[in-house]
Amino acid sequence: MVGAKSHKVLIFVLMALILTFFYLPILSLMVFSFNDSRSLTSWSGFSLQWYEALFKNREMMMAITTTLSIALMSTFVATILGTLAAIGVSKSKRLVKEIVLSVNNFPILNPEIVTAIGLMLLYSSLNIQKGYMTMLLAHIIFSTPYVILSVLPKLRRLDPDIAEAALDLGATPLEALWKVIVPMILPGIISGALIAFTMSFDDFVISYFVSGNGVKNISILVYTMSKRINPTINALSTILVVIITVVLLIVNLYPMLNKKKELKEAE
Amino acid sequence: MRKLIEFKNIVKSFDDSLVLKGINLSIHENEFVTLLGPSGCGKTTLLRILGGFISQNEGHVYFDDIEISNVPPYKREINTVFQRYALFPHMNVHDNIAFGLHIKKQDKQMIEQKVKKMLKLVNLQGYEDRPVTLLSGGQQQRVAIARALVNEPMVLLLDEPLGALDLKLRKEMQVELKKIQQEVGITFIYVTHDQEEALTMSDTIVVMNNGEIQQIGSPTDIYNEPENRFVADFIGESNILEGVMLEDYKVKFDDQTFECVDYGFEDNLEVDIVLRPEDIDIVPLDMGRIKGVIKSAIFKGVHFEVVVETPYREWIIHTTDKVELDKEVGLHFFPEDIHIMYKMGTY
Amino acid sequence: MKGYASLVKPYILWMSLFIVVPMLLIVLYAFTTSGNELISFRFTLDNFFRFFDPVFIKVLLKSLEVALITTLLCIIIGYPIAYIIANASEKSQTLLILLITLPMWINMLVRTYAWISILSDGGLLNSLLGFIGLPQMKLMYTDFAVMLGMVYNFLPFMIISIYTVLAKLDKALIHASHDLGANPLQTFLRVVLPLSLPGVISGITLVFLPAVSTFVIPKFLGGGQYMLIGNLIENQFITVGEWNFGSAISLIMAFIIMASMMMTRKMDRDASENTGSEGGKLW
Repeated sequence: MVGAKSHKVLIFVLMALILTFFYLPILSLMVFSFNDSRSLTSWSGFSLQWYEALFKNREMMMAITTTLSIALMSTFVATILGTLAAIGVSKSKRLVKEIVLSVNNFPILNPEIVTAIGLMLLYSSLNIQKGYMTMLLAHIIFSTPYVILSVLPKLRRLDPDIAEAALDLGATPLEALWKVIVPMILPGIISGALIAFTMSFDDFVISYFVSGNGVKNISILVYTMSKRINPTINALSTILVVIITVVLLIVNLYPMLNKKKELKEAE
Repeated sequence: MRKLIEFKNIVKSFDDSLVLKGINLSIHENEFVTLLGPSGCGKTTLLRILGGFISQNEGHVYFDDIEISNVPPYKREINTVFQRYALFPHMNVHDNIAFGLHIKKQDKQMIEQKVKKMLKLVNLQGYEDRPVTLLSGGQQQRVAIARALVNEPMVLLLDEPLGALDLKLRKEMQVELKKIQQEVGITFIYVTHDQEEALTMSDTIVVMNNGEIQQIGSPTDIYNEPENRFVADFIGESNILEGVMLEDYKVKFDDQTFECVDYGFEDNLEVDIVLRPEDIDIVPLDMGRIKGVIKSAIFKGVHFEVVVETPYREWIIHTTDKVELDKEVGLHFFPEDIHIMYKMGTY
Repeated sequence: MKGYASLVKPYILWMSLFIVVPMLLIVLYAFTTSGNELISFRFTLDNFFRFFDPVFIKVLLKSLEVALITTLLCIIIGYPIAYIIANASEKSQTLLILLITLPMWINMLVRTYAWISILSDGGLLNSLLGFIGLPQMKLMYTDFAVMLGMVYNFLPFMIISIYTVLAKLDKALIHASHDLGANPLQTFLRVVLPLSLPGVISGITLVFLPAVSTFVIPKFLGGGQYMLIGNLIENQFITVGEWNFGSAISLIMAFIIMASMMMTRKMDRDASENTGSEGGKLW
């Protein structure tokens, strides 16, 4: 319904307030990464010294490498593991399906801290030294269930005759899987992989409990450094924010640009 | 009958496209009016303007001689049966029907009574406690009608309400809707693109195309006396041809002059001519006014649809007699079967 | 065709080892005495009895209180926002949803950390107060700061889950309600609100669950002395080293969360049974 003018003003004010609430901290964080002094509250002039400090800081550079390498590797493994498991689940008997899915839901529905201490206890019972590998394994463990959940709906919508048709035409089960099933559920696999990547990239709680030996990802570093507040964190965060914004913009604008291009070509 | 609703010069556009181009229409009390036309002709838009869900860019809507353009839908004495029913999924049959009465804070006992009466009217006694999501399409349809009628509106709007039903059910509901309308004795305004539906139920049909009214009339008028090529073509299958009105009662087409019953056109005016397929008879070659060859004959259940080819055109003819393919035959029709129309845009 | 079913077998093995065994280990630790030798464990309920100390009960109640208030705040703020977005033009909807979700992609610790400089004594908010002539306030290390941090982190989940339901709501239902004489307020209360409840309920689980168990937000914005149940568990495992007690607390917390989730889900099911709608399918 067409509202009165005061109505529209109210809506505008509310949205402006909420967006300020969401973006004010991020903006202030970015602004103070360029501060000349150590302070995070009073502005004393523009400088890039914290960015310099960031790139000279070995610990920080290590954390960035660790975060990225673990995110990439765990995504790769979790995507394959999860996709195969999802295909298996979708063809399993009802009982098996239900059991697997409810266990699979555990890490999703449980608070992260419970999953974290469970894995911590597991490593210690098996006498595994905590470090890079334990963190990588943990990331694969907690992100695989999300891949399964994002692939399953695509499989459900898949015509059951499709794979049979491929086999009928002479494909081996493996070929049918690779050439027919996987391409048809690819959107689900991709979105599963994206979820796995961001889960791993942003994870703090689980990494915190299962890593050791000085192995830190960005989150752990922010957590341990927060006690000695330091604008290098702002600098690091600013870079992360910019990268994420650019990636998101590309992802969201790409389809639009493509459409425009198509339109132009059509002309 | 008293005039109840009047549209005056209604213009409506969405974005840049003009959907209604100045509609003038009066609707009377206790009338069953059908807005008929192809999709996109503006019929649903007109209905939604009357319901109050959208407002026109220009023009006025009068209800009982009072301008209602600025009255919100919940204050209009008009109720709607929506295209996909729009039943509230979180309420059962009873609560859906009682919704409007609850809103008006009517007495509980009164509400129960009215709901019962409505359920009886639409033949759904005993369904009070059913969740509406578990009803069949036909039953949902009935609930939607009951929910609207229980408010005792002066006008009921129906937006292609039978579109989602299968053919058999649709036929049943057509009869039932007409019965209900006669029972409650209020104005029904019915939107459809199905000409058969319109012919079966309506007192008055308003044929629309491209945001304009093409013809207003009773079903027999519309069928027998289409005002232009569009109406003739839209209402039933037709042979539509071009010809010249030589003088009163004389028309020429296919290089022959025929007698007809129409008059009052300019001499030598180019006109459109309609000949309904069931008005043409297939006769032995020497008895026909036009000669042709039978090209095809398809059985349509009751009649054959026969195509006869002449040097000028193919004629569609409905007949119950068996015909022989490739046979040369004559075609016969009476002067009153020839219907002359002004060409579109010239009247 | 059936052959693909065997693909699930490796994952069953994987799940048993990495999901089921860790859960069992938490239970095992919770019910045994300390002494890290697994061979010599002894059954006990002491870890649970120990929790029923007023000090710990107070922490538990505080956590529930903070989580509940956070959830309520998220509903109160999130519902109108979701409603506004759902009623905006299609283009604005996409843009607004993007704007609301964008901060969620930024590391949660970084986002929470950012509030420190705003809330601290000489920070942005206090400067603003000073600027308009109001007295300075202590904002950091208070309940206010902790709840603000939680609302900030979890509000997008609430907005999105209510928005998804509202956006799918058939506009014809609103028209039908108006048509039947209900004014906009009545339409909202009797049609829109009941139909959007499933979204609110899924929002509640998405906010309440992490709000109960978080230990980062209280630590950053509440200070070292601020104890919620998540901090308690962290302390037992990281600083004190009392794994058995820590496991028992985790079990208690998991139990409470499970119970409250079952309750909200039952509410949801009751709601959608009445409606027979598909609302509950968000999960």
